[in-house]
Amino acid sequence: MIRLQNIEKVYRTSTVETLALSSINLDIAKGEFLSIMGPSGCGKSTLLNIMGLLDAPSKGDIKIDNQKTDHLSDKQLAAFRNKKLGFIFQSYHLINDLQVLDNVELPLLYRDSTAKERKMLATEALEKVGLANRVKHFPNQLSGGQKQRVAIARAIVGRPEIILADEPTGNLDSAMGSEILDILLQLNQKDGTTIVMVTHDENMAHKTHRLVRLFDGSQVQ
Amino acid sequence: MFKHLFKLIWNKKKQNFLLMSEILVSFLVIFAVFTLVVYYYHNYKKPMGLDYQGVWVINYSNSYQTKNTDSLNLYYSTLVQTIKSLPQVKQVSFTADNTPFTQNMNTGGITFNNKKMDGNNWYTVDDNYKNVLNMDLLEGRWFNKGDYATKSKPIVINSDLKEKLFGNGSALGKLIGDGDNKSKMRVIGVVQSIKIKGDYANTEAGLYQRTDTGSFRWLGKMLVKVTPDADATFEGKLYKTVANYMKNSDVEIEHLADKRVSINYFTLVPIIVLLIVACFLIINVALGLFGVLWYNINKRRGEIGLRRAIGATGNSVSSQLVFEAMILATLSLIIGTFFAIQFPLLNVFSLPASVYIIALFLSIIFIYLLVFVCSLHPGKQAAAIYPAVALHEE
Ligand SMILES: Nc1ncnc2c1ncn2[C@@H]1O[C@H](COP(=O)(O)OP(=O)(O)OP(=O)(O)O)[C@@H](O)[C@H]1O
Ligand SMILES: [Mg+2]
Repeated sequence: MIRLQNIEKVYRTSTVETLALSSINLDIAKGEFLSIMGPSGCGKSTLLNIMGLLDAPSKGDIKIDNQKTDHLSDKQLAAFRNKKLGFIFQSYHLINDLQVLDNVELPLLYRDSTAKERKMLATEALEKVGLANRVKHFPNQLSGGQKQRVAIARAIVGRPEIILADEPTGNLDSAMGSEILDILLQLNQKDGTTIVMVTHDENMAHKTHRLVRLFDGSQVQ
Repeated sequence: MFKHLFKLIWNKKKQNFLLMSEILVSFLVIFAVFTLVVYYYHNYKKPMGLDYQGVWVINYSNSYQTKNTDSLNLYYSTLVQTIKSLPQVKQVSFTADNTPFTQNMNTGGITFNNKKMDGNNWYTVDDNYKNVLNMDLLEGRWFNKGDYATKSKPIVINSDLKEKLFGNGSALGKLIGDGDNKSKMRVIGVVQSIKIKGDYANTEAGLYQRTDTGSFRWLGKMLVKVTPDADATFEGKLYKTVANYMKNSDVEIEHLADKRVSINYFTLVPIIVLLIVACFLIINVALGLFGVLWYNINKRRGEIGLRRAIGATGNSVSSQLVFEAMILATLSLIIGTFFAIQFPLLNVFSLPASVYIIALFLSIIFIYLLVFVCSLHPGKQAAAIYPAVALHEE
């Protein structure tokens, strides 16, 4: 489903050059649940962003469903992210001025949909993460675990094939963290969603199908 | 999307309040400026109603004192003959002090059908006045010698007063004024109103009454129409002629064309000052708007990154921000229009309603343009934000 070939990423600022990723080769199958581990600064987020076509690699190819992606326009990239991908972040990235339901509806605003459809799909997604009773709340009226569940609902509302989760449990205690992991495991098992998750937690990583370790921008396992 | 943005703005009403009030205040100032500009333009487009070229004003103080009205009249008719004998002089007319393009006024009420209309200009003029100024006669006739012995005093009114008193109906032969029919005045003609206060001022209702035999005791001005070749040498000659005739009188000659220029300055200065003030204010508001939008966008980098991640293109992010600013402007304009519309509704300054309406439209367009221009660049900047970087920051 996702194939990374010889990916290299160099960040250049006026003074320093950082090699964030080098010669990454990775094949992710449809329906796979992959976790990525590694010390801070080793390039995990960078890798995830490259997979999500949010960032372009300095070298190498990304193929998604066997299609090369380097020639896509901004519009095509946006459409791709909108239809195929769901992002989950450590810091949730909810819009604080919008109610839970509106936050979850957000991805649907960037595709053809009616208000009714949006509401239906968003309610459905919120039910899946067990937050159907919080639709009218604002994000700052929720706990961290609840916020992350809203973010998951937002990630799945458009029924994406792939979910990219960057330390989704990083800000949560272990009980909350395993709750979130359970939701992701369910999505993977029931709906067959392909999931790539960055984590610092060995136990969680072992519950997934495969573990990739990064060190200083390189794959070590 | 519209509903979504509206929700976003509504939920942030506290943060947006400042920006909205800023837009509101600038709208009201712009509206005031445009109202004045439109009003001046509206007046400017109206016909002047008189020919000021080659009309000179001779100011004199009464030097000849006599109880005998006949010899008084003889004195002044001889003066006229003397002036008229100069080849460059076409016409001479006596008038009271409220000549065109001066600040002198003589206002009073006039009654018709038991209704009293206040604030009309009364002009005391003679038979030649209309020709000297080449005024347009719309109905009836101007004064002539035969008016000396009519039953009711003849009067000529201008088009503004005609409309005030008679609307679209005819004015000729109507009796206006106080008291019984004997003391009323008969309208014998209607002239086009003249812009007595210059190009940018409105016309006002006015009545012309004929000088009578006693008028020379207090009149102090003559209007002289001269030929185009009348130059400074001739002006000197005219001055000497009048001054020699009217011993002990202070004689002064002015040109109507010059007086027009100076009264135009007089009306334009306030609007120029206001325009300068408004310009500074607009620059201020534009910078403020720009700053606030810029600040908002920087505060919302996370949101922008997120939107990109879930499927927004750079362009849709930037148009969202511009659109949000336009919605804010619309909300302010709705409130502003509510205030602005009170002016024509309550007729505060008795300007024509059309002036307000045009000014309102111009101000709305202006504010939209201002907000659009100010939000364009911050919007573009937002589109240029790297989503990966923006998401990384929080
Ligand atoms: N926009 C950027 N400009 C310059 N350098 C960057 C940028 N983003 C990341 N880097 C660098 O690239 C390297 C990898 O960063 P990345 O965020 O991928 O690490 P990470 O593994 O996700 O770390 P963490 O576990 O702390 O989130 C780091 O050395 C970081 O400083
Ligand atoms: Mg990271």
